[in-house]
Parts: sequence; C-alpha cells; structure tokens
Amino acid sequence: MAPEKKFQLHLPSTLGCEKVAMDFAASVAKSMNFPADRVEDLKTAVAEACTNAIEHGNKLDASMKVGISLTIDKGRLQVAVQDEGTGIGRVPTPNIDSKIEGKSDPRGWGIFLIESLMDEVTFESTPEGNVVKMIIHLEK
Amino acid sequence: MAKAQEISIRPKGDVSVIDIKGDVTAPTGQPIEDAYHQVTAAGAKKILLAFASDCYINSGGIAILIGILSESRKKEQAVRMTGLSAHFQKIFAMVGLTKYAQIRPSEEAALADF
Repeated sequence: MAPEKKFQLHLPSTLGCEKVAMDFAASVAKSMNFPADRVEDLKTAVAEACTNAIEHGNKLDASMKVGISLTIDKGRLQVAVQDEGTGIGRVPTPNIDSKIEGKSDPRGWGIFLIESLMDEVTFESTPEGNVVKMIIHLEK
Repeated sequence: MAKAQEISIRPKGDVSVIDIKGDVTAPTGQPIEDAYHQVTAAGAKKILLAFASDCYINSGGIAILIGILSESRKKEQAVRMTGLSAHFQKIFAMVGLTKYAQIRPSEEAALADF
C-alpha cells in the first residue's frame, strides 16, 4: 500500500491569495490523475474555503495565516483549510430567487459550492480556529 | 495575484455586448457593474455577457452577477451569457443563475436568440 503523502501551505489573509492554494491543490490532484472536471471542482471548493477563511475567519487581517494541508491517501485527496478565527455561524442554504428579488444577500454561496462539489465535507471549530475538511475520491 | 481584468462594451446590432476577461470576484466586480450601468443608461434592452473561457469566477463574482440580473429583471432587460467554460456552466446552473440568464454556446448563437 502506498504511504500517505502530506503537503502543507500557509497563506496570508489577503483576498487573491486563495488562487495560490487553488493552483497548488490542482497540481496535486493532477499528479493523482483526477479527471479534468474533478480538478475544476476541487479548484472552486479550495478557493471558496480559503476565501471564507481569509474573509470571515481571519477577517482580512493579513498578519493571520490560512493553513492548507493536502493529504493523499488510498485514492482520495483530503484538503484541510484552517483559519485562526473564532466560530463562523452556519449560513442558510442560499436561494437564487430570494437573492434576485433582493430579499436576501446576493453573497453566501461558498459553503453551498463546497458541499455540492466535494464528496465529503466537515466543518469544525477548534480553539485554534475553524477547519474545513474536504475529501475528493478518485473513484466517485 | 489577480489576473489583469479587462471589461469592454461593444454594440452588436441591438445587443450590448459586455466582454469580461480576468477575475470575476467581489474585489474586481465594480468594473463589470459599471459596464452594466453604462449600457443601461444608454437604453440597452438586450445584454450579452461574453466571458473569456479562462475567467476565474468565485462566489463573490456570482454575487456581482446576481446583482446585475436582479437589476436587469426590474428594468425588463434580456440578459444572455456566453464563453463560459464547462465548469462554470455547471456552477451557474447549480446556483440557479441560468434561470435568469440563459447560457449560449457561442456569441453568434446568443445574438440569434434574443
């Protein structure tokens, strides 16, 4: 059995930096031979998780870090995105009609996209910060 | 880190085409909103959002597009979209944007469909 491989990256909490994590995750997924459409799914999910961590977890404080760790294990890739903030409340499931009609904030799609695109997702709030763990399987 | 953004407007018959290249995110959304307001002020009733196929679009960018579609609905403007990669076509369908602005496979197809 191939041993588990782990990669780590730390980013400042500046919008735009999520693209570094996105490209990093895409490189690892491509090396595992994920199909192109799943790599795109992963890129969007990682970018959204990092954007949430930067904006809502670390409140755009550039001195606070966002940690990204990627673990390859048994035909699956796990990506964990951790911020240094305190608990982010769950947002309601977004509704396009309500947003178009101006009845709710047009934002708030990040978690919806992560949960829609990844095979497994968990959210944890720890004393050290919020952690989003996303898993994508080679065989869906 | 953001890809250089380029937003431009061109008339194509009675359709106002807004070409969108680069990042479509919350911090880069203003020029897209400005372009929409510019064509609206000029009386546009048919608007085509023509994305470059390598655009990076995130949830903040989706919110910008929702704002535009919300306003266009009130102003009774027809909006179509084209140029999106297969991935973002899927994302737009997933969030429901395609209920309010249909995606066409090419600019020609979109222009013929208003």
